[in-house]
Amino acid sequence: MLLELKNVSLSLKRDGKYVKILDEISLQVNKGETVGIVGESGCGKSMTALSIMRLLPEKAKLEGGILLEKEEISSYSKRKLEKIRGDKMAMIFQDPLTSLNPLHTVGRQIEETLILHTDLNKEQRKKRVIELLNEVGLPRADEIASDYPHQLSGGMRQRIMIAVAMACNPSLLICDEPTTALDVTVQAQILDLMNHLKDVNEMGIIMITHDLGVVAEVCDRVIVMYAGKIVEQAEIKELFINPKHPYTKGLLDSIPKLAMKKTKLGSIPGMVPSPDKMPKGCRFYERCSSAMEICREKTPPMNLVGEEHLAACWLFEEKEGEANASSRNKGLEATLHH
Amino acid sequence: MPLLEIKDLKQHFIIKKGFLGEKKKVKAVNGVSFKMEQGETLGIVGESGCGKSSLGRTILQLIKPTSGEIIFSGKNITHLPRKEMKALRKDMQIVFQDPYASLNPRNTVRTILETPLIVHGVGSRLERAKIVESLIDKIGIRKDQLDRYPHEFSGGQRQRIGIARALTLNPKLIIADEPVSALDVSVQSQVLNLMVDLQKEFNLSYLFISHDLSVVQHISDRVAVMYLGKIVEIADVEELYRNPLHPYTKALLTAVPLPDPTKKRDRIILQGDLPSPTNPPTGCAFHTRCPVATPECKVETPELREKVMGHWASCIHVHPEQSSKSKVNIS
Repeated sequence: MLLELKNVSLSLKRDGKYVKILDEISLQVNKGETVGIVGESGCGKSMTALSIMRLLPEKAKLEGGILLEKEEISSYSKRKLEKIRGDKMAMIFQDPLTSLNPLHTVGRQIEETLILHTDLNKEQRKKRVIELLNEVGLPRADEIASDYPHQLSGGMRQRIMIAVAMACNPSLLICDEPTTALDVTVQAQILDLMNHLKDVNEMGIIMITHDLGVVAEVCDRVIVMYAGKIVEQAEIKELFINPKHPYTKGLLDSIPKLAMKKTKLGSIPGMVPSPDKMPKGCRFYERCSSAMEICREKTPPMNLVGEEHLAACWLFEEKEGEANASSRNKGLEATLHH
Repeated sequence: MPLLEIKDLKQHFIIKKGFLGEKKKVKAVNGVSFKMEQGETLGIVGESGCGKSSLGRTILQLIKPTSGEIIFSGKNITHLPRKEMKALRKDMQIVFQDPYASLNPRNTVRTILETPLIVHGVGSRLERAKIVESLIDKIGIRKDQLDRYPHEFSGGQRQRIGIARALTLNPKLIIADEPVSALDVSVQSQVLNLMVDLQKEFNLSYLFISHDLSVVQHISDRVAVMYLGKIVEIADVEELYRNPLHPYTKALLTAVPLPDPTKKRDRIILQGDLPSPTNPPTGCAFHTRCPVATPECKVETPELREKVMGHWASCIHVHPEQSSKSKVNIS
């Protein structure tokens, strides 16, 4: 296993008091696997990524365990973290223009990672930069290396970001909406490139996106988040064909599909509750069409609802009883250690 | 009589570039023609910078066209004096992309919705209040929320308020410029459902501008595909998605990620990015990225021609007799 999050919770200070943004997030990413995280805006997708990278605001309270290649990194000091950021784990953001420094050439920005994390000399670094630019599919690599970000198009900038991230062959790559700001033909190019790089380098990728089409295209497994909690996770085909959680179903129903012209789209009424006013029981209760009495009172546990398929919903709660509970735990464990 | 007819519409912007102040032209809209019927939804798709938003704004004459004609309800409105144009604006309204920036944060929803009525001198104070209240009911916002400010609403609610504002004057045409692009998918579907309902109720026509091909397919009757200021293909929605003729449309349709992991498609991946509209390629503007381009494409500018009944495309390699053979199944 490449990455494991164990009951990670995150609280941020807002107006003088702590508000819980993430609530007991547990997930795993294996080598060579792309795991998608989906959900509406404000559900905690990006905060999960930033918690792994520990790029958090001051006074953030992070609890739980984060294991990268079996090492507990959540207790790492700042300096120790800087050593692995960009080396073992790297991140790509949504907006490539604001994440690149406008004052340095793009070649210099790729080189910077190499200066920080490798012993390559100047010549070797130059060579590696050109190599990386070729790898991410940019033509005329030596010319582009001396260009500034504003001279490049959005798609090319995102390729530069990928080159920066790939510079030290990270084992974990986190992508936060990497194609959202791009046009659809350019998005196709970038997704293609990412699939190729994953196959070549055996990386684990976390793909954060709101676009279920992108997820279907590149992910092996999907995690659905709602209001700071994981509500469902499954293998990609299973999730799309056999979604269990009412929230996942609602999301899938609201996408316009082929051959359903002008029929009513499904939709989810209401909006995501704000983090400082989280309901007591299931957080989806108020918007759920299958809500029951118990949902208002008690938070649903993660239930095994199929092969390697988990959903946090009372609809799938097995009958109480020792035997059942233990068999469920076994199933869970089998899933977690897959 | 069509509700709206556009003839060879051009919108060229002059921008100053370089420190010697040399002037350059951006041909944002470069010879666009089409017709639209009452009650119809025409979708306009294309990548950023293709001129789809400029087209919408030019039709409303929020920016004056460089040349060409706009005929609305049989009347040429291209060179109308301000006063007459103002009266006509009652019939043509716009919904913007960003529901945060398009509502005045200092006004209550009631004021926002009443203002168009006051500007156009509609009704007495009481009648206006009635109109506002009946509208708010249709878009699913409660009467007691009327005196709240925009920031108290969610993105989806704000976009619905934007739509209600466009409806206050009972228009015939609504130009919707990326109306759901800023919204989450579950909220997006609510707004799309509302737009379809309102269209049925008021027999509205929509010019629906979007970069999202699945949204456009869902809501449109006909679809026009734009590339660098020109329409490269226009057809009925089913026909266009089933049988795209122009190589750009084909690439665009296969590039859309489908929310269905069981389907794998042969994808046409275009090389490079959209060329700069200040310096568009010669001949066919698409030839720099086109997988089937030939040397003629560099020289010859293709015209938009009817290749199949009601299906127009501008590509010299699509011949009317061949088009039935070149069917590509995209699903």
